[in-house]
Amino acid sequence: MEALRVEGLSKDFGGVHAVHHVSFNVEIGERLVIIGPNGAGKTTLFNLINGQLSPTAGRIYFLGQDITEMTTHRRAHLGQARSFQIINLFLNLSVLDNTLLSLHGTKRSRLQMFRSMKSYGNLLSNAQESLEAAALWEKRDELVKNLSYGEQRRIEIALSLASKPKLLMLDEPSSGLTRDEGSEIIALIRNLGPTITVLIVDHDMDLVFGVAERIIVLHYGQIISNGKPEEIRVDPKVREIYMGAEECIDRARAD
Amino acid sequence: MDVVVRNLLNGISYGMVLFLAGAGMSIVMGVMGITNLAHGALYMVGGYVGWTIAIHYGLSFWLGVLLGGLVSGLCGLIIERGFLRHLYKQPNEQVLLTFGFVYILTNLCIWIWGGRHRMQFTSRSLSGLWEIFGLPYPTARIVIILIGLAVGVVLWWLQDRTRMGAIVRAGMDDKEMTKGLGINLERVSMFVFFLAAFIAGMAGVIGAQLMGVHSVLGFDILLLALVVVIVGGMGSVQGSLLGGVLIGLIDTFGKSLFPQMAMFTMYFAMIVILIVKPSGLLGRKV
Amino acid sequence: MANAKSEPIHRTLQGQLIRLSPFIVGAVILFLLPAFLPAYVQTIWTKFLIFAIFATSFDLIYGHAGLLSLGHAAFFGAGGYVVGVLLLHYEISSFWICAPLGVIVASAIAAVFGFISLRVSGMYFLLVTFALAQLLYSIAWNWLWLNSPGMQGIAGIARPDLGIPSFRWTPIYFYYFVLIIFVLCFYLVYRIMNSPFGCSLRGIRESELRMESLGYNTWFHKYIVFIVTGAFAGIAGVLFAYFNRLISPVHLAVGTSFLPMCMVIIGGTGTLLGPVIGAMVIVFVEYFSSLFTPERWPLILGGLFVAVIMYSRGGIMVYLSEIWKRIGTHYGSTQS
Repeated sequence: MEALRVEGLSKDFGGVHAVHHVSFNVEIGERLVIIGPNGAGKTTLFNLINGQLSPTAGRIYFLGQDITEMTTHRRAHLGQARSFQIINLFLNLSVLDNTLLSLHGTKRSRLQMFRSMKSYGNLLSNAQESLEAAALWEKRDELVKNLSYGEQRRIEIALSLASKPKLLMLDEPSSGLTRDEGSEIIALIRNLGPTITVLIVDHDMDLVFGVAERIIVLHYGQIISNGKPEEIRVDPKVREIYMGAEECIDRARAD
Repeated sequence: MDVVVRNLLNGISYGMVLFLAGAGMSIVMGVMGITNLAHGALYMVGGYVGWTIAIHYGLSFWLGVLLGGLVSGLCGLIIERGFLRHLYKQPNEQVLLTFGFVYILTNLCIWIWGGRHRMQFTSRSLSGLWEIFGLPYPTARIVIILIGLAVGVVLWWLQDRTRMGAIVRAGMDDKEMTKGLGINLERVSMFVFFLAAFIAGMAGVIGAQLMGVHSVLGFDILLLALVVVIVGGMGSVQGSLLGGVLIGLIDTFGKSLFPQMAMFTMYFAMIVILIVKPSGLLGRKV
Repeated sequence: MANAKSEPIHRTLQGQLIRLSPFIVGAVILFLLPAFLPAYVQTIWTKFLIFAIFATSFDLIYGHAGLLSLGHAAFFGAGGYVVGVLLLHYEISSFWICAPLGVIVASAIAAVFGFISLRVSGMYFLLVTFALAQLLYSIAWNWLWLNSPGMQGIAGIARPDLGIPSFRWTPIYFYYFVLIIFVLCFYLVYRIMNSPFGCSLRGIRESELRMESLGYNTWFHKYIVFIVTGAFAGIAGVLFAYFNRLISPVHLAVGTSFLPMCMVIIGGTGTLLGPVIGAMVIVFVEYFSSLFTPERWPLILGGLFVAVIMYSRGGIMVYLSEIWKRIGTHYGSTQS
């Protein structure tokens, strides 16, 4: 059973084909990275897989189930989690509240109106675990808006992992980060176990080639290339799109 | 048949007043993303100023219309420049602020003009009757329809056929991008807000021919304008015109056919639209 | 939590006491002070408590969930009208029937209005809540069944019948009656605020998009809070009918909706005490204004409101919290 299967997916906005007849699969435990120039439709693709947008055509299968018509929150219960391109955290809430909220999302207790949030002992210890792993437990009472950008990115990923998802989708996780912070993200992704499937959209070639088991290249909403990193590196179609990225690819190859 | 024609003309003329009252609000909502709840109060201020000019001082009605528009426009500009501008990116606070101004403007009007209802008034030249399809009909109402159409055409021309209109529409879709292109969206926004208030003020005097002026207009007109925006759709002149005329007709025919339910016909229309097409008849996607 | 365990016990107790002291002081003032005040001041305190419930209910939907509903008075007035109608047409004055029925009717109206309003979002949501409340207002104005003969609204509402034989109402008894209900409502809202559901509301306010992708059915949460706040507003409305002895269409209209908005903004949104403080400020300023310039009260209210929005983002609570933190750190009882 594949983790994710996308068949003939299209999304039109008026006359614009943001995503056009896209088909691919992702195996369980696979690390798939989607790259492509700006406007290629990568985030739109994420929004289709996660349910923020409805496709104009095509079908999406998650763990064997057809989720094309399913709402976003139902998909979360099936095991999807994502981070957003623009940081979308609960800025005026504390780090701890952000984490507890993320943990409760897939629990029945989220509609509970009388028990105190803090009284859920095991959720609290899960939160502690996640935050300590991200080195943010000391700052748990800080409002997220007061954290640095790098810390916010770290929290974002920690929160996406909090619900122990089966499919983790990261939308430009390294955007705006320094080289070191980027390396931390790479290490973090590398350490995720084989039970979790990871789908990433990014531009940072270090991250892309450092993490990917397979790469899909998107251009004007269509798949240009789909294969192993070594194949993509030498693919002439990809080079054409990424003329400026040749340097980066050479550098990455040298590492 | 006479009754039908009379109701039709009454509905359209009333609808034109609603269009004039609501168009500015709809455009400001679409362009600047500001829900100006004080729009009805601006209508009221214009009406009071118009009354002062036309009745209290006995000057020209049309001068009253102009000055009503100017004073309201000025009030609108003060609200925008002095207050709303500082609440950029806080839409809830902006709305609340304008709501506070309804109280302030209403009470100021009561303070200045007293709480007495001002009866309908019109220009001497309009107080007669005209023959329409063999039917004697108030000239004033015919002129209202013509004014409404004229204003509608001018606004439509501004919206669709001028550079400024293009800027406004671009700003509606993507503020950041428009600013990034070096366009002074600020200045255009300021002008749009002034224009919207100006039209509301003028509408207050023009509408006074049908409804008079009183101190609860701030809320009453707001409600009517809101229904027009919801039914016609936000952000387009065509939407406001269609919404206004539709509501005017529904209200007039409703009152004549079901006098008991008169109040509600308008609300039913609104609720139907909300359930069937929430963005309004000619509105953009909500 | 890990920190609290490692502190010596007496420190924790002292910390707890200091943290609870505003509530203790508040309780003392609310329970003891009015007994020593003249009757007309007691009625003002009663009015303050009723509006504190109303304001707190509004804060749940505005301060926590971030939904600006301009028609909150619809549920408040509905509760009041239930009392009036039961008295006028069925001669029922038992509190034990009127109150639950008032809450049920208010909640039912909230369920309907919420469903329609939540079809749209942002600015439209605002407008729709406003228009729906005005619809109710015009129904109350026009439908004869909802009016005492020859007038607008329903008059002659007496104090509630508690079913206690030979019990006579006095202002101070009524005050304590309202106080008990206030404390109950306050406690319930406190629990809701701190619950997972309450937290989810704040999450929705901050980023509905993220909440959805975390697994929350945000529409449902918004719908539930709409109904819950409608219920609390209904209870406030029931008490108000008994207090005011008259319920009229204006209590359903936007003018009445404006009051909890002011209170919440002035007191501080999203806090437990903010709406209560705001209610106190508004009710007492209104009283003083009625002594000197009654006609200018709307102007004062509007002006105060605009001033607070422009210059004091978090309302009074921001200042109180600051003072609170300073006292807290001074006595060395830092905790979350």
